[in-house]
Amino acid sequence: MWQMSNGDPALRLMVHDTAPHVDQSPASAEARPWLAQYPDGIPTEIELDEYASLKELLSITCGRFPELPAFESMGHAMTFRQLDVASRSFAAWLLKTAKLKRGDRVALAMPNLLQYPVALFGVLRAGLVVVNTNPQYTPREFEHQLNDSGAKVIVVLENFAASLSAVVASTAVQTVVTTQVGDMLPPLRRWLTNAVVKHIKRMVPTWQMDNTVAFNDVLSIGSGLALDDVSLGHDDLAFLQYTGGTTGTPKAAMLSHGNMVANVLQVAAWVGRDLKDGIETLVIPLPLYHVFALTGALAFFSKGTRAVLIANPRDMPDVLKTLVRSSPTALIGVNTLFRALLDAPGFAALDWRRLKLAVAGGMAVQKVVAQRWKDATGIPLVEGYGMTESAPVAIANPIDIVQWSGQIGLPLPSTEAAILDEDGGPVAVGATGEIALRGPQVMQGYWLRAEETAAAFTTDGWLLTGDMGMMDAQGRFRITDRKKDMIVVSGFKVFPNEIEDVLALHPGVLEAAAIGVADERTGEAVKVLVVRRDAQLDEAALLAHCRVHLTGYKIPRFVEFREEALPKSAIGKVLRRALRDKDRAAVDRQAPGITAASGLRK
Amino acid sequence: MTPEASPARLVTLRDGRQVSVRAVRGSDEAGIVRAFERLSADSRYTRFMVHKKQLNPAALEAGLNPVPGRAFVFVATVPSSEGYEIVGAAQYVPADGSVTDQKDLDDKGRVCEFAITVADDWRSSGLAVHLLASLVRRSRRDGYARMEGHVIANNRPMLALARKLRFEVEPDPDDVTMVRVERRLAPLRKTLADGRS
Repeated sequence: MWQMSNGDPALRLMVHDTAPHVDQSPASAEARPWLAQYPDGIPTEIELDEYASLKELLSITCGRFPELPAFESMGHAMTFRQLDVASRSFAAWLLKTAKLKRGDRVALAMPNLLQYPVALFGVLRAGLVVVNTNPQYTPREFEHQLNDSGAKVIVVLENFAASLSAVVASTAVQTVVTTQVGDMLPPLRRWLTNAVVKHIKRMVPTWQMDNTVAFNDVLSIGSGLALDDVSLGHDDLAFLQYTGGTTGTPKAAMLSHGNMVANVLQVAAWVGRDLKDGIETLVIPLPLYHVFALTGALAFFSKGTRAVLIANPRDMPDVLKTLVRSSPTALIGVNTLFRALLDAPGFAALDWRRLKLAVAGGMAVQKVVAQRWKDATGIPLVEGYGMTESAPVAIANPIDIVQWSGQIGLPLPSTEAAILDEDGGPVAVGATGEIALRGPQVMQGYWLRAEETAAAFTTDGWLLTGDMGMMDAQGRFRITDRKKDMIVVSGFKVFPNEIEDVLALHPGVLEAAAIGVADERTGEAVKVLVVRRDAQLDEAALLAHCRVHLTGYKIPRFVEFREEALPKSAIGKVLRRALRDKDRAAVDRQAPGITAASGLRK
Repeated sequence: MTPEASPARLVTLRDGRQVSVRAVRGSDEAGIVRAFERLSADSRYTRFMVHKKQLNPAALEAGLNPVPGRAFVFVATVPSSEGYEIVGAAQYVPADGSVTDQKDLDDKGRVCEFAITVADDWRSSGLAVHLLASLVRRSRRDGYARMEGHVIANNRPMLALARKLRFEVEPDPDDVTMVRVERRLAPLRKTLADGRS
């Protein structure tokens, strides 16, 4: 539509008369110049009716590939049939024993273990809503997310139960399902793994909670219960996927079954051309509670792929061992992870001959990482872009790219992207404006936040991304800057206000501001500028305070104490640009992606 | 140029609720502090652009006693068990770099900076429009030539409001997360000649 600013009035009318959330008839090639750039064999539209819901995706896929491995963790595989059976038991327990009603929320707080897909599909096929939760949350973070979502059941890995136990009484949670690392392993290994984790590695802090039930007990109880069929359609809510708000208070994007089915089909169409049903192996080092990993995994799942889960991507020797053992044909990660892999001792010895596809999201891919990856494996790093609010992928580089382009790519099938000016109107080709998205993967709105939902969309139904960018005549998009004040650390969003909020809780802090600074390894890192009330306050004490209230990736990397007050305008507004200027000067101009952090955000 | 003792005006808002709008008084201190304490973290952030635990005493003092002819503060109040509660406040002060000496009062280059805060449960009521329009009229009388404001780029309700009152919205060249809004304040003489403000 940006090409129509002085063009065809009829088309212009069509665009502006369209109400938000109304299905668009396929626009002409002129309106979507990117379609001409699609690689051969990539459809321009997806068939949304292929699956009525994620429940149907599960039943159809399990029916097609019953005996193939669906997920694998710590060397143990679970077939599609086993996943179907276990998730059915979990669903029956949720409805019959936990007595949840359609639409109730269930929080999942686990790293990548076999329990995750079992619980995930159990919740979805029961007609309930998944609240993906970072298990490493501090009590404060758990409390906010559980209260905001109103989750009645939470599934938590025991290793993280201590944080949850501190606040669970002040939430709506009625039942806590606890699981141990080895719960889905065969009996002997299960016992051994759980004993080692608990008693030898001492990775399970002591916890005490009422109304808990063990994951394996849930499955055995559920296996004896009938599961009434729940009818689900595209409009039914599937996920409350949390993301930072404008000013840092996390809020949930409501993603329906239709949103998720759409993005699964879109991603599968985009990357699936060279993938064959039932023979691929995907390695997933990114946590599945991150929507990029989740949707990516489901897209591969729909093709009968064996998905090898990595629970702790920081354990690089274990990651390498898993890569050797599983010999992947596809890999999903973020720039930080690909970089860590390339730098890892032992990486050079890996055999990548089977690899067909490497997909990166969550943050901008650095040129140097893309080049090194291509040189080492012969396969390009394909970068995708989107946001939690778009389930998440909306724009991506074509899989046949030869080298790093610095662009985020082309809108996916059945997706429209546009560059809008401050008033929500289209800008000319090549001009800078805000990237806006429209398509079946775009969320239903923010959970219980009508005002913020209204502000997120234009009257024409475009979802405003907060990213500034431009489109060229071929329909290729590029990010130039970011409107939202946020810091992307290894693909995870950090909102300055949340950090400042926590810093302000410390009695020794008078004023504090958090800013993002460029970082080789994580893309951006959190830096805080603090004006002290208590002159004795030091960095160690401040960071110890942060660790109590903030999960790892949000902890400031740099602390700078300032003697004078933060710079303010005449009327008392803190001028953040004056804080950033000094640090931004040091940014490597060779890699614009570092400052103009793009990518799929949590 | 002392502000005339401005009586409170009763204003009926879009949603039917009524507020009383008047100039701030020194005795409003407790009301301002209570109103600040009730503000959500997000509202405080959009006002101060940093997390603020409490009002700075010096800023509070200045806000309660604006210098006549240079600064002004409106408050919107509703009756309550405490006598009244402040549900909105709007102010302008001389902008940084603006000429503020008495002898330059007539200088056409004078610029003021505004800020508006509305209680969370009074959002979308039309109160902010009313307050900003009042500021525009009042600042014109104080001889200001332009009014500016700094707005978080994502604060779409505030930007919509500024556009409605004919502010120009332009990205802050130094900070993409911020937007600068500015409008010219028509000279008072012309306004009077037009017979309306």
